Amino acid sequence: MDDLLFQITEWLRTTRLSDVAFWAGDTALSNWIVTHFWTTAILQVIHILAISAAWGSILMVTLRLFGKAGTDRTIAETERRYIRWIWCSLVVLILSGIGLILSDAIRNLLNAIFWIKMILVVGAIVTSAWFHGRVMHRLAAGGTVTAGIKAGSLAIMVLWAVIMLCGRWIAYAPT
Amino acid sequence: MNPASTSLWDKIEYSTLGTTIAESTWMFPTLETIHVICLVSVLGTIFVVDLRMLGWTSNKFAVTLAAKDTLPWTWGAFVGAAITGGLLWVSKASDYMHNPYFLLKMATMALAGLNMMYFHFMTWRTVEHWDKDATMPVAVKVAAALSIILWLGVVFFGRAIGFTLGIFGS
Repeated sequence: MDDLLFQITEWLRTTRLSDVAFWAGDTALSNWIVTHFWTTAILQVIHILAISAAWGSILMVTLRLFGKAGTDRTIAETERRYIRWIWCSLVVLILSGIGLILSDAIRNLLNAIFWIKMILVVGAIVTSAWFHGRVMHRLAAGGTVTAGIKAGSLAIMVLWAVIMLCGRWIAYAPT
Repeated sequence: MNPASTSLWDKIEYSTLGTTIAESTWMFPTLETIHVICLVSVLGTIFVVDLRMLGWTSNKFAVTLAAKDTLPWTWGAFVGAAITGGLLWVSKASDYMHNPYFLLKMATMALAGLNMMYFHFMTWRTVEHWDKDATMPVAVKVAAALSIILWLGVVFFGRAIGFTLGIFGS
């Protein structure tokens, strides 16, 4: 696994991504972040708080689907309650994420685990949007919670947990 | 390993458990990851109740409902965070005990705990009177605001440890 990640990173270095990474590291914003010591830590705190809001919301919706919490409200009401938090958190995650990338542009962009995380993030957004669009509307129209819907809800949580794992491991990628 | 070190923290750090975690290529980052997943679960569920207590969300619904739905998960996630946090701490006990941000994190968590206990044993006694109100009594709002501020502090100090480890010696 280490070898594969190392080879992916080595390959990334040979692509145009190298030029982009060096350019990003030279931007005024990147230099400002790097020269103001606590900026990265504060960006990470914002990133963690946005994760808490999104993950907490997804957790509450999943618990509702399993009938374990919030049963005083319908599933449609529960989803409506949390969906805005999830989308707003995503915006904050992306903005703080860009700041975090720029805090160490070259190490972050020329990094196999970073790109695995990005691919998973796109996958998670697409899956969540589909889940919201198809499943939740069907449930709002009076459909029942099937085993498939429960499994899908859990799968989305697992996907975001793996994304968090990747986020932590970016700093430990073999180089 | 320094043969002259005899402090309690050094003994813990150089224990079998401490050295196993510290010398492994994957244990520390994995424990960190689980710690993060647990802590975002704690924060997410606590803020559901805190925001209700401030009267900012769900104020047509009872506070006791928000609390009942979230508290088991808050506690479960906290236990997970504490266990993983403990294991992380063992691997570098001496460094952490000399790091002011780690000590501030522990102190802030203790304050958050005190805030929670005061709210639970004092303020909560009158909950039937204000449970379904849109606007909460001042004591309730203060408890919620303190909770949010203190847990924000815990997150910040927790991150600050990572940026300052080793600077303060061990």
